[in-house]
Amino acid sequence: MKSSLSFLVALVATCTRSYAAEAGMPQLDPTYWASQAFWLIFIFTILYISISKFYLPKIKDNLDNRENKIKEDLDNASKFKEQSEAKLKEYKSILENAKKEVTKILMESKKNLDNDIQSKKVLIEKEIDSEIIKAQKEILDLKKNSISSIQNIAENIASKIIENLSGDKLNESSIKATVEDISKNNIGKYL
Amino acid sequence: MANNPMQQFTVHKIGPEIKIAGIDLSFTNSSLFMLISATTILLLLFLGSKDKKIIPNKIQLIAELFYTFVAKMISDTAGSKAKPYFPFIFSLFMFVLFCNMVGMLPYSFTVTSHIIVTLIMALFIFIAVTIIGFIKHGFKYLSIFVPSGVPSVLLPLITIIEIISYLSRPVSLSVRLFANMMAGHTMLKVFGGFVVSLGILGGWLPLSFSVALTGLEILVAFLQAYVFAILTCIYLNDALNLHH
Repeated sequence: MKSSLSFLVALVATCTRSYAAEAGMPQLDPTYWASQAFWLIFIFTILYISISKFYLPKIKDNLDNRENKIKEDLDNASKFKEQSEAKLKEYKSILENAKKEVTKILMESKKNLDNDIQSKKVLIEKEIDSEIIKAQKEILDLKKNSISSIQNIAENIASKIIENLSGDKLNESSIKATVEDISKNNIGKYL
Repeated sequence: MANNPMQQFTVHKIGPEIKIAGIDLSFTNSSLFMLISATTILLLLFLGSKDKKIIPNKIQLIAELFYTFVAKMISDTAGSKAKPYFPFIFSLFMFVLFCNMVGMLPYSFTVTSHIIVTLIMALFIFIAVTIIGFIKHGFKYLSIFVPSGVPSVLLPLITIIEIISYLSRPVSLSVRLFANMMAGHTMLKVFGGFVVSLGILGGWLPLSFSVALTGLEILVAFLQAYVFAILTCIYLNDALNLHH
């Protein structure tokens, strides 16, 4: 294999040397073939080793990191979204409950107020009634008293007037009887 | 002979002559541009992996783009079994690409325009793939030459064709890259020569051609590196996943 290959190379070299000199195709001039092969293998090996050992792992790490970071961030975002939705639900339910409570409290207080007003009204009405009854009693008493005192005054006035007019002293009992009679007749007119 | 379009491909030694066991291994302009390409790749990767930022800067982005590009290429063509060979294919793609691209610079030398360079790479790939195939599958690897579902009358012929196509892989792989690079650079040089010889009156047409060809050559430089790498992946796929 190796000998046949070198034979081929030599054949191509001898065939092309004249051709290369004529047409000037430097690719077919074997002078520097070995050099080119050697430097190609040497430089490419170094390139391959440094790329595969140093640079590709670094770049891969970096790409993986970014991907993980993006994934994490997306996960976090969806988590936060869920949380915020839950919070929103909670908030809404709290709001609803509060509204319900408010109406409840409103109704209760209204009821309480109504009851209170009602009971106070009844109490006050009772008081007013009793006061009225008392006042009526007092008025009646006052009426009775006033009638007797009016009669006394009338008697006195009558006896004084009679004395002054006639100069006699009349029987007190008769005056009393007359006054009583008159006042009895007229009492309905004034009281 | 500055007008000779093949002049640009001559290899000449730089510095002292190095001879080991009678073989001339002198440092040449070819070696210099291999070194420049490799150094550029390593510099790019060094700068691209230096700061481990969550949001990459431009050079980090470039390095990561190369990484994901080659990784996707391998996983698409050769599957997950080819993962251990990722560093090699990445290095190969980067090396060919940067040699091609550095070759596009004026007054530079295109390493990949030499048949010996591409042939050595192709032969290495061919031999390595064959060894991997035999290690993974033993003698069953020879069934790659016998496609299933072929009428038995045609089978000997098909097998011979398969063997020839398998053996011609290194040749086609190396000649494709070498010929593309050489033809492109020769054409650029020829049109450049026309610009000079036609002068200020007639030189504009070849100059515009030259500009357009430069764009095309940059595309070809990328495309040939891509083709070289993807064919390597396909050969590797044949060796790793034996089915026909």
